[in-house]
Amino acid sequence: MRGRVSRGTILAFIGPAVVGLAAVGIAPLLYALWTSLHFFNLTKLRRVEFIGLENYGTVLTDPVFWQALGRTMTLLGIALPLQIGLGLGIALILHQPGLTLLKTLARLSLVLPMATTYAVVGLLGQVMFNQKFGVVNQLMGGADINWIGDPTNAFVMIVFWDVWQWTPFVALVLLAGLTMVPGEIEEAARLETSNWWKVLRHVQLPFLVPGLVAVLILRTADTLKLFDMVFTLTRGGPGSATEFISLMIQRVGFRAFDQGLASAQAIILLIITIVLAQIYIRVFYREV
Amino acid sequence: MKLRQFFGTTALTAALAASAPAMAWSLKEAAAPYAGTEIDVVFLLRPGYEAIEAMLPEFEEETGITVNIIKHPYENALGEQVRDFVAGGDLDIALIDLVWIGNFAENEWIVSVDEIMEKYPDIIDPDLDMDDFFPLVLNAFGGWNGTIYGLPFDNYSGLLFYNRCMLEEAGFDGPPETWTDLKDVYGPALTGDGKYAFALQSKRNETQSADSFARVIWPFGGSFLDADFRSNLMSEESQAGLKFRQDLMQYMPDGIVAYDHAETVNAFAQGDVAMITEWSAFYSTVVSPDTSRVADCVEIAPEPVGPAGRKPALGGFSLAVASQAGEAEQAAAWLFIQWATSKANAGEYLERGGVPARQSAYADPALAETYKFIPALVESWQDGVPEFRPRFAEWPEITEIVQEWGTKMMLGEVTTEEGAQEIGERMEAVLEDAGYYSGDKPLAQ
Repeated sequence: MRGRVSRGTILAFIGPAVVGLAAVGIAPLLYALWTSLHFFNLTKLRRVEFIGLENYGTVLTDPVFWQALGRTMTLLGIALPLQIGLGLGIALILHQPGLTLLKTLARLSLVLPMATTYAVVGLLGQVMFNQKFGVVNQLMGGADINWIGDPTNAFVMIVFWDVWQWTPFVALVLLAGLTMVPGEIEEAARLETSNWWKVLRHVQLPFLVPGLVAVLILRTADTLKLFDMVFTLTRGGPGSATEFISLMIQRVGFRAFDQGLASAQAIILLIITIVLAQIYIRVFYREV
Repeated sequence: MKLRQFFGTTALTAALAASAPAMAWSLKEAAAPYAGTEIDVVFLLRPGYEAIEAMLPEFEEETGITVNIIKHPYENALGEQVRDFVAGGDLDIALIDLVWIGNFAENEWIVSVDEIMEKYPDIIDPDLDMDDFFPLVLNAFGGWNGTIYGLPFDNYSGLLFYNRCMLEEAGFDGPPETWTDLKDVYGPALTGDGKYAFALQSKRNETQSADSFARVIWPFGGSFLDADFRSNLMSEESQAGLKFRQDLMQYMPDGIVAYDHAETVNAFAQGDVAMITEWSAFYSTVVSPDTSRVADCVEIAPEPVGPAGRKPALGGFSLAVASQAGEAEQAAAWLFIQWATSKANAGEYLERGGVPARQSAYADPALAETYKFIPALVESWQDGVPEFRPRFAEWPEITEIVQEWGTKMMLGEVTTEEGAQEIGERMEAVLEDAGYYSGDKPLAQ
């Protein structure tokens, strides 16, 4: 079969995708790499010069970078387990037999948070969490909680919105994993035991692992590049309370215009993301 | 040097006026060679821009020049313009906040007024009258290192907006004259039951640097830099101002570090806050019954005096011709700038919600009855500090540092001394890197 397809045909099919990927993915990455090795400030273009790894040295010794990274990891460490726990719960409920129409409606409604534009989520948050007029405080019996202006509350608010928006994604991925479990095996297991935990642990979980690894990788990458929602909601404040790593990079690159330093920060972030993804795959991933 | 160049510009204008042909200069005739030209400019989403936009059809009809307006919120305007100028884009006019002028001038993205006058003498309105602009405003908004680049367009001074009804209810017959009175006398009397004496917008963006941080250091005798361009934030005066802000926070709403202009003006307009120090541009918002519950109670005064005098916040924008524009576009751009900032249009601009920088526009004492902010504004423009925020090219980097550590001070995460030390060290590192200490760059701010 293989011999029948000419090399030209293969190239014709794969070539455009490779060229497209190179144009929109590889070329900007290489340019960012080049920029990161230079003093490159948009408002001082006459001074562009090769400075080797100086930008990387600046990033790695800058406490602000590590604080922003730590903040981002804290968000990931809090939001991701919540999303997985709630998502698994929703998936298990939707996997129960019966109530087909309701389940279909529930599945459809799960798409809504994901379909909401990130920036709009932030703007909604500004209104809903307004200390004086916001619906959240009203629902809490007219509480006078300062959500946006208090560092801790602002962080809690970001966690809330991230969980609200991405738990449905986790639920749908895990629900897809549950549907992969062969019906006869699951049925046999249920005949063997009425303990749902045993069924989940020994029968369903192995089929959920690939989905869970995908969730870990995607959500980690998403959290590391979380920008729009936070930018429109708190702009990284108050103080630095919600200045996550991507907001910091945007600030350096587009508000202080130091593209060289921002590129070095972005490259380091990319390396961190790749390393984390590799760790997830090696530690958690198992073929069923 | 500064004076010589300034007077050079003025003298050239006067000479052009004197040598004008017998037939009167008209916009229509001056613009005739450029009819059909399109020019691009960035505008902000603020009343002064809406005012000129409403007047624009008249200009376009008269000249045949089309003005394409690209609207951005303030926070995006610098980035959009920098990217356009770096990439040799389409903008023909630069909209310049006073803290961007050094950046734009040093990068040669804008053309000086002198150059325009020499290059396009036929389009200079004999009634341009550069002397009619408030000197402080022209120099601060449009000038850099002795050269005038832009004409003041959207002009602000910090003013004290106060709620007369709340003050009278508390037993005061007028606003505080000094910052100390505001804190020690008015603060306790006006704070309580969900109401606050004062709100100082302090969100972590340019608002923190300009409206909050700079506003408290100058009246107390402090400044960002000393004469040698070293940090002056650890000085007794700067520290006094920063500590004053910390003390004053007890009379402000919770979460003041999340307050930008909108939140602050709204809090005042809703009657929750008795006094705010805000830009003159927000006058129309707080006196309109459509947007303010306290419209009938609003009064305006100059910002309070500190130990070093009245040093009100100074901010505003000029319009300058972009050097990347083609010749026809440059000429058309100048015609638009000249028209938008002209003496002849200043009255209508004021009526429509703009704040002109023309002295002649405020000459009629009766105007103060309609526009309560005028006396305070005119007084403020006598005393302002052009370097209220340093206007050099390094400000975008330095303001980020001030925003971060200024907010940390307010949140109590660091003391005023620790914060000032951090800002000082980082600010000096930026200035050293730029070449101010090695003598590569003049100490201009």
